[in-house]
Amino acid sequence: MSKETVFTDLIREHQALLYKVTSVYTDNNLDQEDLFQEVVYQLWKYFDSFRQDSKITTWMYRVAMNTAIAHLKKKKRRPNVLPIAEVLIKQIDLIDEVYEERLHLLYKYLHHLNTLDKGLIFLLLEGKSYNEIALITGLQVSNVGTRISRIKKKLRTNMTKN
Amino acid sequence: MEIEELQAAWLQMSTELKKQKKLTDDIILSMTKEKYQNKFKKISTYETIGAIVCFSLALLVLIKFHSLDTWYLQICGLLTLIFLIVLPVLVLKTLNKMKMIDISKGSYKENLSQFIKTKNSLLKLQKLAIGISFFGLSFIVPVTSKIISNKDVFLISLKIEQYIAMGIAMAFVYFVSRLGYIGYKKVTNSAEELIKDLE
Repeated sequence: MSKETVFTDLIREHQALLYKVTSVYTDNNLDQEDLFQEVVYQLWKYFDSFRQDSKITTWMYRVAMNTAIAHLKKKKRRPNVLPIAEVLIKQIDLIDEVYEERLHLLYKYLHHLNTLDKGLIFLLLEGKSYNEIALITGLQVSNVGTRISRIKKKLRTNMTKN
Repeated sequence: MEIEELQAAWLQMSTELKKQKKLTDDIILSMTKEKYQNKFKKISTYETIGAIVCFSLALLVLIKFHSLDTWYLQICGLLTLIFLIVLPVLVLKTLNKMKMIDISKGSYKENLSQFIKTKNSLLKLQKLAIGISFFGLSFIVPVTSKIISNKDVFLISLKIEQYIAMGIAMAFVYFVSRLGYIGYKKVTNSAEELIKDLE
C-alpha cells in the first residue's frame, strides 16, 4: 500500500477525532475549516516521523492539539460565520432540542477555559485516562488529576451561575 | 446542568460524528498538497516586508549620513539607524524562534509554554516599538528633513499654523500609541498568567 493510501485511510477513519479537536479550539465554521486543513497538512508533514511505540491516535491528538496552539487567533467579527455549536448540529443533522441546548452550553463553557484547561477537559471528554492525558500533554499524572478537579470545580461554578 | 450531562452530550456527538464519512481521498490529498497561507506565514511575510523597508531606509540614511553636518543631527542619525535596524532584527529573530517549534515532538505543555513565551516576547517588542515610535518622531523628523530637503529643523522658525499642525500630529501619535500599548499590555498580562500556571 502506498503512503498516500495509508494516510488517507487514517484520516478517513479518524476524521471525527480531528473534527472534535478543531471544534474545541475555534468558534466558527471558517476558522474550523482552516484549522482542520492545517492539522491534516501537519499530520502529513510529520507522518514519516511517527514511531510505532505509541498509539497512532495518541500521536494524532498530540499533533492536532499542538497545531491548534499555534492557530489561536483573536476573535474577529466576520460576516457569514456560523457559531461552532451550529456547525456541529448541522453536521450531524440534529433534531433533539435538549441535546442541541446541551451542545451549545458545552461549547460555551469550553470556550471560556484557557488553552491548557481546554486541552485537558477535551481529552477527558474523549474518555482518555489520566495516564493517556499525561502522555499527550506532558504533565505528570498527579498534576493532571489536580488540574482536572480544579477545572471541574470552575465549570460547576459557571453552570450554577447560569 | 451537571458535568455528567455535558459528557453524555459529548459522547452522543462523538457517536454521531463517527457515522459521518464525508471526507474523500481527493479532499484529504488536496489538504496535504495545497500551499495555503497559515497565520505564521502571513505574519512572517508582513514582518519581512516591513524589515526590508526599514533596512532600505537605514541604507539610505547611511549613504546620506555625511549630509548630517552637525553633532546633534548626527546623534539623531545614529538613533534613527538603531531604530531601523535593531527592532526589525529582533522581531524577525523572535518569529523564527516561533517557527522552530516542532509540533510533532514536543508535548502539549512544552509547546504551549514555548509558544506563549515567544509570542509574549513578540508582543513586548511590538509594545516597545509603539513606545519608541512616539519618541522616534523627535529624531527621525530632523534626519529625514535634512536628507530630503537639506533643512535643519532645529534652526527653522516655524509659523503658528505649523506649530498647531505639529501639536495635533503629536497628540494623534500619542493617542494611537497609548491605545496600542494598552491593548498589548492586556494580551501580554494574560499570557504571563498562563505561563505562570504552566510552570
